[in-house]
Amino acid sequence: MTHSRFALDSDPRQRPPVLVVTGEIDLANVGEFEKAMVQAGAGAPAVTIDLTGVDYCDSAAVRALFSMAASTELTLVVGSAGHITTLLGISGLDRVATVVVRD
Amino acid sequence: MPAPTFQARDDSGTSDLLERILDRVQRDLPGAVGLAVSLHDRSHDPAGTVLATRGVGGQFVDAQLDGLGGPAIDASEHQVPVLSPLLWSDDRWPALSPESLTARDPGHQSVWQAISGAAATPGVWRADATVVLSAVLGEAADASTITTLIGYEQLITAAMMTAAAREGSQIADMLAVLQSRGAIEQAKGAVMGALRCDADTAWSMLRRASHDSNVKLRVLAVALVELIGGAPAEQPAVGAPIVPDEAARRAAGLLWAVLSAAPRSD
Repeated sequence: MTHSRFALDSDPRQRPPVLVVTGEIDLANVGEFEKAMVQAGAGAPAVTIDLTGVDYCDSAAVRALFSMAASTELTLVVGSAGHITTLLGISGLDRVATVVVRD
Repeated sequence: MPAPTFQARDDSGTSDLLERILDRVQRDLPGAVGLAVSLHDRSHDPAGTVLATRGVGGQFVDAQLDGLGGPAIDASEHQVPVLSPLLWSDDRWPALSPESLTARDPGHQSVWQAISGAAATPGVWRADATVVLSAVLGEAADASTITTLIGYEQLITAAMMTAAAREGSQIADMLAVLQSRGAIEQAKGAVMGALRCDADTAWSMLRRASHDSNVKLRVLAVALVELIGGAPAEQPAVGAPIVPDEAARRAAGLLWAVLSAAPRSD
Protein backbone atom coordinates (compact mmCIF):
# COMPACT_ATOMS: atom_id res chain seq x y z
CA MET A 1 0.00 0.00 0.00
CA THR A 2 1.46 3.31 -1.01
CA HIS A 3 0.66 6.45 0.86
CA SER A 4 0.81 9.17 -1.70
CA ARG A 5 -0.53 12.67 -1.55
CA PHE A 6 -1.39 15.05 -4.34
CA ALA A 7 -1.84 18.45 -2.77
CA LEU A 8 -2.56 21.62 -4.65
CA ASP A 9 -0.71 24.48 -3.04
CA SER A 10 -3.21 26.32 -0.87
CA ASP A 11 -3.11 29.73 -2.52
CA PRO A 12 -5.24 29.48 -5.67
CA ARG A 13 -4.02 32.89 -6.86
CA GLN A 14 -0.49 31.62 -7.03
CA ARG A 15 0.75 31.68 -10.62
CA PRO A 16 1.65 29.25 -11.89
CA PRO A 17 -0.24 26.82 -9.68
CA VAL A 18 1.99 24.39 -7.77
CA LEU A 19 1.07 20.74 -7.28
CA VAL A 20 3.02 19.15 -4.45
CA VAL A 21 3.33 15.38 -4.66
CA THR A 22 4.68 13.08 -1.95
CA GLY A 23 5.06 9.31 -1.76
CA GLU A 24 5.05 7.08 -4.83
CA ILE A 25 3.52 7.41 -8.27
CA ASP A 26 2.92 4.15 -10.10
CA LEU A 27 0.29 2.34 -12.10
CA ALA A 28 -1.89 2.00 -9.00
CA ASN A 29 -2.41 5.72 -8.44
CA VAL A 30 -1.39 7.36 -11.70
CA GLY A 31 -5.04 8.10 -12.46
CA GLU A 32 -5.26 10.15 -9.29
CA PHE A 33 -2.03 11.91 -10.22
CA GLU A 34 -3.38 12.75 -13.68
CA LYS A 35 -6.57 14.14 -12.18
CA ALA A 36 -4.62 16.27 -9.72
CA MET A 37 -2.46 17.65 -12.55
CA VAL A 38 -5.47 18.49 -14.72
CA GLN A 39 -7.14 20.18 -11.76
CA ALA A 40 -4.00 22.15 -11.01
CA GLY A 41 -3.66 23.19 -14.65
CA ALA A 42 -7.27 24.19 -15.19
CA GLY A 43 -7.35 27.69 -16.61
CA ALA A 44 -3.59 28.18 -16.18
CA PRO A 45 -1.12 28.29 -19.09
CA ALA A 46 1.65 26.86 -16.89
CA VAL A 47 1.89 24.38 -14.03
CA THR A 48 4.63 23.58 -11.56
CA ILE A 49 4.81 20.09 -10.08
CA ASP A 50 6.95 19.65 -6.99
CA LEU A 51 8.31 16.10 -7.00
CA THR A 52 10.93 16.58 -4.27
CA GLY A 53 8.81 14.49 -1.86
CA VAL A 54 8.38 11.59 -4.31
CA ASP A 55 10.45 8.50 -3.38
CA TYR A 56 9.59 6.45 -6.42
CA CYS A 57 7.81 6.78 -9.74
CA ASP A 58 7.55 4.40 -12.67
CA SER A 59 6.91 4.74 -16.38
CA ALA A 60 3.20 5.39 -15.77
CA ALA A 61 4.19 8.67 -14.12
CA VAL A 62 6.56 9.51 -16.99
CA ARG A 63 3.74 8.95 -19.48
CA ALA A 64 1.41 11.16 -17.45
CA LEU A 65 4.05 13.91 -17.28
CA PHE A 66 4.63 13.76 -21.06
CA SER A 67 0.90 14.06 -21.56
CA MET A 68 0.82 17.11 -19.28
CA ALA A 69 3.83 18.63 -21.06
CA ALA A 70 1.97 18.25 -24.37
CA SER A 71 -0.78 20.60 -23.23
CA THR A 72 0.83 23.07 -20.85
CA GLU A 73 4.08 24.72 -19.94
CA LEU A 74 5.41 22.35 -17.32
CA THR A 75 7.98 22.97 -14.60
CA LEU A 76 9.22 20.07 -12.49
CA VAL A 77 10.93 20.58 -9.15
CA VAL A 78 13.16 17.64 -8.16
CA GLY A 79 15.78 16.75 -5.58
CA SER A 80 19.39 16.76 -6.79
CA ALA A 81 20.71 13.31 -7.74
CA GLY A 82 18.00 10.72 -7.47
CA HIS A 83 15.97 8.10 -9.26
CA ILE A 84 13.53 10.69 -10.61
CA THR A 85 16.20 13.04 -11.93
CA THR A 86 17.73 10.05 -13.77
CA LEU A 87 14.34 9.08 -15.20
CA LEU A 88 13.75 12.63 -16.48
CA GLY A 89 17.13 12.54 -18.25
CA ILE A 90 16.68 9.08 -19.82
CA SER A 91 13.18 9.81 -21.07
CA GLY A 92 14.00 13.28 -22.38
CA LEU A 93 11.24 14.83 -20.26
CA ASP A 94 13.87 17.33 -19.15
CA ARG A 95 13.90 18.64 -22.72
CA VAL A 96 10.20 19.47 -22.89
CA ALA A 97 9.71 20.57 -19.28
CA THR A 98 11.73 23.02 -17.21
CA VAL A 99 13.53 21.09 -14.48
CA VAL A 100 14.43 22.93 -11.30
CA VAL A 101 16.83 21.08 -9.01
CA ARG A 102 16.42 21.86 -5.34
CA ASP A 103 18.77 20.41 -2.75
CA MET B 1 -0.13 -22.95 -21.08
CA PRO B 2 3.42 -22.26 -22.27
CA ALA B 3 4.44 -18.66 -22.84
CA PRO B 4 3.60 -17.77 -26.43
CA THR B 5 6.44 -17.68 -28.89
CA PHE B 6 6.57 -15.24 -31.72
CA GLN B 7 8.22 -15.40 -35.13
CA ALA B 8 7.30 -12.30 -37.00
CA ARG B 9 9.17 -12.96 -40.21
CA ASP B 10 7.26 -16.22 -40.68
CA ASP B 11 3.92 -14.68 -39.98
CA SER B 12 3.00 -12.27 -42.70
CA GLY B 13 -0.45 -11.82 -41.17
CA THR B 14 1.06 -10.22 -38.11
CA SER B 15 3.37 -7.93 -40.03
CA ASP B 16 0.40 -6.90 -42.14
CA LEU B 17 -1.54 -6.06 -39.02
CA LEU B 18 1.35 -4.13 -37.48
CA GLU B 19 1.96 -2.32 -40.76
CA ARG B 20 -1.66 -1.29 -40.91
CA ILE B 21 -1.26 0.12 -37.41
CA LEU B 22 1.83 1.99 -38.60
CA ASP B 23 -0.25 3.46 -41.43
CA ARG B 24 -2.55 4.92 -38.81
CA VAL B 25 0.38 6.24 -36.77
CA GLN B 26 1.68 7.87 -39.96
CA ARG B 27 -1.62 9.67 -40.39
CA ASP B 28 -1.32 11.04 -36.85
CA LEU B 29 2.35 11.93 -37.32
CA PRO B 30 2.53 13.29 -40.87
CA GLY B 31 6.09 14.51 -40.25
CA ALA B 32 7.39 10.96 -39.67
CA VAL B 33 9.97 9.73 -42.19
CA GLY B 34 10.26 6.38 -40.45
CA LEU B 35 8.15 4.24 -38.10
CA ALA B 36 8.90 0.81 -36.71
CA VAL B 37 7.66 -1.80 -34.29
CA SER B 38 10.49 -3.82 -32.82
CA LEU B 39 10.74 -6.66 -30.33
CA HIS B 40 13.55 -6.57 -27.79
CA ASP B 41 14.05 -9.88 -26.03
CA ARG B 42 16.91 -10.12 -23.58
CA SER B 43 16.83 -13.90 -23.55
CA HIS B 44 17.46 -14.12 -27.30
CA ASP B 45 20.42 -13.57 -29.54
CA PRO B 46 20.21 -11.22 -31.36
CA ALA B 47 18.38 -9.29 -28.69
CA GLY B 48 16.15 -7.33 -31.05
CA THR B 49 14.11 -7.73 -34.23
CA VAL B 50 12.20 -5.27 -36.37
CA LEU B 51 8.67 -6.64 -36.77
CA ALA B 52 7.19 -3.95 -38.99
CA THR B 53 8.53 -0.86 -40.68
CA ARG B 54 7.43 2.18 -42.61
CA GLY B 55 9.79 4.55 -44.41
CA VAL B 56 13.28 4.31 -42.94
CA GLY B 57 11.98 3.14 -39.52
CA GLY B 58 13.36 -0.39 -39.84
CA GLN B 59 16.85 0.77 -40.91
CA PHE B 60 16.85 3.34 -38.11
CA VAL B 61 16.07 0.74 -35.42
CA ASP B 62 18.40 -1.90 -36.94
CA ALA B 63 21.25 0.63 -36.75
CA GLN B 64 20.48 1.23 -33.07
CA LEU B 65 20.41 -2.53 -32.41
CA ASP B 66 23.77 -2.92 -34.16
CA GLY B 67 25.46 -0.90 -31.45
CA LEU B 68 24.80 2.74 -32.30
CA GLY B 69 22.26 3.00 -29.49
CA GLY B 70 19.28 5.32 -29.57
CA PRO B 71 15.76 6.00 -28.36
CA ALA B 72 14.39 2.51 -29.14
CA ILE B 73 17.17 0.82 -27.19
CA ASP B 74 16.77 3.09 -24.17
CA ALA B 75 12.99 2.71 -24.24
CA SER B 76 13.34 -1.07 -24.06
CA GLU B 77 16.13 -1.08 -21.48
CA HIS B 78 14.64 1.44 -19.09
CA GLN B 79 10.97 0.79 -19.82
CA VAL B 80 10.11 4.45 -20.23
CA PRO B 81 9.04 6.54 -23.21
CA VAL B 82 12.06 8.28 -24.74
CA LEU B 83 11.91 11.61 -26.55
CA SER B 84 14.60 13.42 -28.48
CA PRO B 85 13.28 16.76 -29.78
CA LEU B 86 16.40 17.32 -31.93
CA LEU B 87 18.25 14.07 -32.46
CA TRP B 88 21.47 15.38 -33.99
CA SER B 89 22.14 17.75 -31.13
CA ASP B 90 21.28 15.11 -28.51
CA ASP B 91 24.24 14.04 -26.34
CA ARG B 92 22.66 10.76 -25.17
CA TRP B 93 23.73 8.68 -28.18
CA PRO B 94 27.08 9.96 -29.44
CA ALA B 95 27.49 7.08 -31.92
CA LEU B 96 24.15 7.77 -33.61
CA SER B 97 24.70 10.41 -36.29
CA PRO B 98 23.82 11.14 -39.93
CA GLU B 99 27.33 9.97 -40.81
CA SER B 100 27.11 6.62 -39.00
CA LEU B 101 23.68 5.95 -40.49
CA THR B 102 24.88 6.91 -43.95
CA ALA B 103 27.88 4.60 -43.59
CA ARG B 104 25.47 1.73 -42.98
CA ASP B 105 22.85 2.78 -45.48
CA PRO B 106 24.24 5.18 -48.12
CA GLY B 107 21.05 5.01 -50.17
CA HIS B 108 19.21 7.13 -47.63
CA GLN B 109 21.89 9.74 -47.00
CA SER B 110 19.58 12.69 -47.69
CA VAL B 111 16.91 11.23 -45.37
CA TRP B 112 19.40 10.76 -42.53
CA GLN B 113 20.62 14.31 -42.89
CA ALA B 114 17.08 15.68 -42.87
CA ILE B 115 16.10 13.92 -39.64
CA SER B 116 15.15 16.20 -36.80
CA GLY B 117 13.31 14.56 -33.87
CA ALA B 118 12.75 11.01 -32.67
CA ALA B 119 10.65 9.19 -30.09
CA ALA B 120 10.07 5.63 -28.85
CA THR B 121 7.60 4.08 -26.40
CA PRO B 122 7.86 0.63 -24.80
CA GLY B 123 5.16 -1.87 -23.99
CA VAL B 124 5.72 -5.06 -22.04
CA TRP B 125 5.25 -8.17 -24.09
CA ARG B 126 6.63 -10.97 -21.93
CA ALA B 127 8.55 -10.81 -18.68
CA ASP B 128 11.86 -10.30 -20.47
CA ALA B 129 10.67 -8.90 -23.77
CA THR B 130 9.54 -5.43 -24.75
CA VAL B 131 7.80 -4.29 -27.91
CA VAL B 132 8.83 -0.77 -28.91
CA LEU B 133 7.08 1.66 -31.23
CA SER B 134 9.57 4.12 -32.76
CA ALA B 135 9.16 7.24 -34.83
CA VAL B 136 11.78 9.36 -36.53
CA LEU B 137 10.68 12.72 -37.86
CA GLY B 138 11.73 15.23 -40.48
CA GLU B 139 10.69 17.94 -38.00
CA ALA B 140 11.32 18.54 -34.30
CA ALA B 141 9.61 16.10 -31.93
CA ASP B 142 7.77 17.24 -28.80
CA ALA B 143 5.73 15.82 -25.94
CA SER B 144 2.74 15.33 -28.23
CA THR B 145 4.85 12.98 -30.39
CA ILE B 146 5.19 10.74 -27.33
CA THR B 147 1.51 10.95 -26.43
CA THR B 148 0.59 9.99 -30.01
CA LEU B 149 2.80 6.88 -29.80
CA ILE B 150 1.44 6.01 -26.35
CA GLY B 151 -2.05 6.07 -27.85
CA TYR B 152 -1.09 3.09 -30.06
CA GLU B 153 0.53 0.92 -27.41
CA GLN B 154 -2.56 -1.09 -26.59
CA LEU B 155 -3.36 -1.64 -30.23
CA ILE B 156 0.12 -3.01 -30.81
CA THR B 157 -0.09 -5.26 -27.76
CA ALA B 158 -3.43 -6.49 -29.03
CA ALA B 159 -1.87 -7.25 -32.43
CA MET B 160 0.93 -9.17 -30.72
CA MET B 161 -1.59 -11.14 -28.69
CA THR B 162 -3.49 -11.95 -31.85
CA ALA B 163 -0.31 -13.35 -33.35
CA ALA B 164 0.47 -15.38 -30.26
CA ALA B 165 -2.97 -16.80 -29.87
CA ARG B 166 -2.92 -17.78 -33.57
CA GLU B 167 -6.54 -18.53 -33.41
CA GLY B 168 -8.13 -16.28 -35.76
CA SER B 169 -11.39 -14.63 -36.21
CA GLN B 170 -12.61 -13.65 -32.79
CA ILE B 171 -9.58 -11.68 -31.67
CA ALA B 172 -9.02 -10.29 -35.14
CA ASP B 173 -12.60 -9.08 -35.30
CA MET B 174 -12.24 -7.52 -31.89
CA LEU B 175 -9.07 -5.78 -32.98
CA ALA B 176 -10.83 -4.45 -36.05
CA VAL B 177 -13.53 -3.03 -33.83
CA LEU B 178 -10.96 -1.50 -31.50
CA GLN B 179 -9.21 0.05 -34.50
CA SER B 180 -12.28 1.48 -36.10
CA ARG B 181 -14.29 2.71 -33.15
CA GLY B 182 -12.03 2.68 -30.17
CA ALA B 183 -12.28 0.56 -27.07
CA ILE B 184 -14.17 3.16 -25.10
CA GLU B 185 -16.87 3.52 -27.71
CA GLN B 186 -17.20 -0.24 -27.84
CA ALA B 187 -17.42 -0.57 -24.07
CA LYS B 188 -19.95 2.23 -23.99
CA GLY B 189 -22.01 0.30 -26.51
CA ALA B 190 -21.85 -2.79 -24.33
CA VAL B 191 -23.05 -0.87 -21.28
CA MET B 192 -25.86 0.71 -23.31
CA GLY B 193 -26.90 -2.74 -24.46
CA ALA B 194 -26.87 -4.21 -20.97
CA LEU B 195 -28.71 -1.36 -19.31
CA ARG B 196 -30.73 -0.21 -22.32
CA CYS B 197 -29.62 3.26 -21.38
CA ASP B 198 -28.44 6.23 -23.41
CA ALA B 199 -24.85 7.06 -24.28
CA ASP B 200 -24.46 9.67 -21.54
CA THR B 201 -25.57 7.27 -18.80
CA ALA B 202 -23.26 4.57 -20.16
CA TRP B 203 -20.40 7.05 -20.26
CA SER B 204 -20.88 8.19 -16.66
CA MET B 205 -21.22 4.56 -15.55
CA LEU B 206 -17.86 3.70 -17.14
CA ARG B 207 -16.25 6.78 -15.66
CA ARG B 208 -17.54 5.99 -12.21
CA ALA B 209 -16.31 2.38 -12.46
CA SER B 210 -12.92 3.65 -13.62
CA HIS B 211 -12.75 6.09 -10.74
CA ASP B 212 -13.93 3.61 -8.09
CA SER B 213 -11.51 0.89 -9.22
CA ASN B 214 -8.66 3.30 -9.90
CA VAL B 215 -8.21 1.74 -13.34
CA LYS B 216 -7.70 3.97 -16.37
CA LEU B 217 -10.83 4.29 -18.44
CA ARG B 218 -9.30 3.02 -21.65
CA VAL B 219 -7.69 0.04 -19.89
CA LEU B 220 -11.01 -0.76 -18.25
CA ALA B 221 -12.73 -0.45 -21.61
CA VAL B 222 -10.31 -2.88 -23.28
CA ALA B 223 -10.73 -5.30 -20.37
CA LEU B 224 -14.50 -5.06 -20.65
CA VAL B 225 -14.46 -5.66 -24.41
CA GLU B 226 -12.16 -8.65 -23.90
CA LEU B 227 -14.43 -9.99 -21.19
CA ILE B 228 -17.56 -9.70 -23.28
CA GLY B 229 -15.79 -11.03 -26.38
CA GLY B 230 -14.70 -14.06 -24.35
CA ALA B 231 -11.08 -13.82 -25.46
CA PRO B 232 -8.22 -13.77 -24.75
CA ALA B 233 -8.50 -13.18 -21.02
CA GLU B 234 -7.01 -16.55 -20.05
CA GLN B 235 -4.27 -16.39 -22.67
CA PRO B 236 -1.36 -15.01 -20.65
CA ALA B 237 -0.11 -17.84 -18.46
CA VAL B 238 3.26 -16.73 -17.12
CA GLY B 239 4.84 -13.38 -17.75
CA ALA B 240 2.70 -12.72 -20.81
CA PRO B 241 1.10 -9.43 -21.96
CA ILE B 242 -0.01 -7.35 -19.01
CA VAL B 243 -2.36 -4.99 -20.79
CA PRO B 244 -5.01 -4.92 -19.48
CA ASP B 245 -3.74 -6.00 -16.09
CA GLU B 246 -5.35 -8.05 -13.35
CA ALA B 247 -6.81 -5.00 -11.62
CA ALA B 248 -8.41 -3.87 -14.87
CA ARG B 249 -9.89 -7.30 -15.51
CA ARG B 250 -11.20 -7.48 -11.98
CA ALA B 251 -12.81 -4.08 -12.34
CA ALA B 252 -14.29 -5.06 -15.71
CA GLY B 253 -15.62 -8.30 -14.23
CA LEU B 254 -17.22 -6.44 -11.37
CA LEU B 255 -18.75 -3.85 -13.68
CA TRP B 256 -20.10 -6.53 -15.99
CA ALA B 257 -21.55 -8.49 -13.05
CA VAL B 258 -23.35 -5.35 -11.87
CA LEU B 259 -24.58 -4.57 -15.37
CA SER B 260 -25.79 -8.11 -16.03
CA ALA B 261 -27.76 -8.14 -12.79
CA ALA B 262 -29.22 -4.66 -13.22
CA PRO B 263 -32.94 -4.50 -13.92
CA ARG B 264 -33.65 -3.22 -17.38
CA SER B 265 -35.73 -0.14 -17.70
CA ASP B 266 -38.11 -1.56 -20.31
